[in-house]
Amino acid sequence: MNPGAMDAAAPDAAPSSIEETADVLRRRVARQFGRSLHIRTLDTGSCAACEQEIRLLAAPHYDLHRLGFFFTPAPRHADLLLVTGPMLRAFASAARKTYEAMPSPKLVVATGACALGGVYQPDEFSYGSVAGQLPVDVWIPGCPPSPLALLQGLMVAVDRMAERAWHLTFLSGGAQ
Amino acid sequence: MPQWFVRGLRRGLVTTRYPARPDPLAALLPGPPSFRPDALTRQVADDLVQICPSRAFVRAGDELIFDAGACTACGRCRERAPEAVTLSGEFELAATDRAALVKRIPLRDE
Repeated sequence: MNPGAMDAAAPDAAPSSIEETADVLRRRVARQFGRSLHIRTLDTGSCAACEQEIRLLAAPHYDLHRLGFFFTPAPRHADLLLVTGPMLRAFASAARKTYEAMPSPKLVVATGACALGGVYQPDEFSYGSVAGQLPVDVWIPGCPPSPLALLQGLMVAVDRMAERAWHLTFLSGGAQ
Repeated sequence: MPQWFVRGLRRGLVTTRYPARPDPLAALLPGPPSFRPDALTRQVADDLVQICPSRAFVRAGDELIFDAGACTACGRCRERAPEAVTLSGEFELAATDRAALVKRIPLRDE
């Protein structure tokens, strides 16, 4: 596709409403990542349950490749950093280097309750959360998140699925 | 035996249709709880704050603050108060804002 035509379709002028902002963002993400995205996983001290679920994404039942997502071992080839674990202090500089090694534009997805700050408190061993160490774009809760939850998170990250988190109430019994 | 394996043997196709269509196996996944405010008293709420191993609950006056991002779906809250806590069945929890995962649950008036 002619990149000039896409630039004209997604002007960088300040959008005036939320809908317009969403529209501009959607076009920008589509332009930057298209229909193919490479994922680098980063374990910052997890128990490996999240890694088990991430590995299952490539299995026949989920078949991540059908959606244009691929895993890559090299941060230089990656568009998206899938981070698990509570960010051990010993690992933080390696995590930052990995992030810096990725070419822009890039996305960071924090995966699992540890990365979201739910399991460990900040202490002398870990930061207790990925927040503050890497600029997180999407948070995927779960302990571990199921492959379906990971899939939804990845689709939300590239704006191919709508985010539902704001609309969930966790109320039942006619009070919704 | 995993259900998708049996389904694959039967139909010759194991790959889920999600996200184009809902996945029937999603209902079997462990997930965060859902709350019945009419059964959630302050006493129960304080018990939940005590027993939650991942500190997903904080009580603030008449509200129970539930952090779905911290929840590990262990089920201890459902065990403690089955009348007030059920399984939400939600798995599409991804959020672009961490604050979107923190929910305020109203408590029963006493």
